[in-house]
Amino acid sequence: MISVLICDDSLVARKQVAKCLPQDWEVNVHFAKHGEEAIEALCEGKGQVLLLDLNMPVMDGYETLKAIQAQQLLTKTIVVSGDIQPEAKARVLALGAVDFIQKPVNSEELTAVLRKHNVLALAEDMPHEPEGLDENLRDCYQEVTNVAMGQAGDHLARIMNVFVKLPIPNVNLIEVSELHMMLSDIEQHEQTSGVCQGFLGDGISGEALCVLSDSSFGDVAKIMNIHENVDDEMQLEILMDVASILIGTCLSGLAKQLDMQFRQGHPMVLGQHQSVEELIKANKSHWRKTLAIELSYGLEGYNVQCDLLLLFTEDSLDMLNSKLAHLLED
Amino acid sequence: MSDNALDEILEFHWMMDMLQTVDVGIVVLNRKFEVKVWNGFMEAHSGLLPSDTRDKSLFSLFPDISEAWFERKAKAVFELRTRAFVTWEQRPYLFKFRNFRPITGSEPFMYQNIALSALVSATGSVDHICMMVYDMTDAASAKKQLLALQVKQSEQESTTHKNK
Repeated sequence: MISVLICDDSLVARKQVAKCLPQDWEVNVHFAKHGEEAIEALCEGKGQVLLLDLNMPVMDGYETLKAIQAQQLLTKTIVVSGDIQPEAKARVLALGAVDFIQKPVNSEELTAVLRKHNVLALAEDMPHEPEGLDENLRDCYQEVTNVAMGQAGDHLARIMNVFVKLPIPNVNLIEVSELHMMLSDIEQHEQTSGVCQGFLGDGISGEALCVLSDSSFGDVAKIMNIHENVDDEMQLEILMDVASILIGTCLSGLAKQLDMQFRQGHPMVLGQHQSVEELIKANKSHWRKTLAIELSYGLEGYNVQCDLLLLFTEDSLDMLNSKLAHLLED
Repeated sequence: MSDNALDEILEFHWMMDMLQTVDVGIVVLNRKFEVKVWNGFMEAHSGLLPSDTRDKSLFSLFPDISEAWFERKAKAVFELRTRAFVTWEQRPYLFKFRNFRPITGSEPFMYQNIALSALVSATGSVDHICMMVYDMTDAASAKKQLLALQVKQSEQESTTHKNK
């Protein structure tokens, strides 16, 4: 019997990929949470076919592909990733992957790819029972963000002609005090500048916060083809442009998966005329907790560090969860 | 059926009327930055009629607007369909309009917030962008007054310190 190894750090993604395997395909399905686990499983002969994610902790997809090549492990690797930049695809194919599928996976596409590479030839007529799904909302948010970020990265890559290093999103419910700490950190470090922008739609509301380290400005100006002198005014301009592209693409990626649309307010420069502390103090009584999704982008070959923080209000969570419910269904 | 069609035309008519009268500047530009829509707000404040601006390049109508700068802003809107923004703190205005209250207003010109958004055509492509111009003069002058007060106060504090 063929064994299939699904390697993804996200539980939701592992289940989703497993669900998309052809129904009539009798296989042993194994799972791995990151590259190291995958290599271990491959060494034990679990995984004639490997469905591999790229963004993972411990050992990412690229390193895993390199390790497979180095150890000459016999497996057909199909990369399943939210990072859909053309460059990512070219890289994994060069590293020995046989094909590349964009997240979120659908069963027709996966079946077609498996058939194309003669993996289905060994199919037998026994129903495949996907394992039950235990609900893990945090994981779900992480995965949805992952896909949105992949799209955002792809957009950035296309408009700026650079390779975007995609981070693993960090999803947490945070308290006012923690956010306070985070923001005053931004304020204290003169080396960073920030922009915040409100967004709302379908009963979900929140604020996006984009923070760019000041050392990044020179390189960002280069990438955006700005030849003028990068003075204070220009820095503000760059910050606004980077923020609207990052926030805009990421939000539209999220909205698409939630089958909705977000309206964006006008962006505000953080702490320019008012200290961040005052901003938060004024709002302290209105909310206690917020769902925070933290992303930090980097551009390969450039000294650019940019953090994007999506904060959802407490009362948006019910709506968000119900919109994500279809991902958690069996 | 014909009743329906008539209703639709009537509805279209008042929708257009709304675009004309809304207190926000609305300009639609194509990829060559030629003006396709110039609403009542823009007409009133600029003194240019829609017939004066139609199909004319934005840069020929307003030579003060830097072409390279605006194209860079618009590129992301056309290509990525994200919104682009210019705040009055960044640039006080894009179009030099007079203050809406020329007598009692303290500022000589209108502070503006600008938002650019993509317009998706029936075929799914983005051939036009919409520019919205908001009058931010009141907010800007309030903020300036507040800052002036703060400066005055800190000056007074430092002089009383000296006198002591």
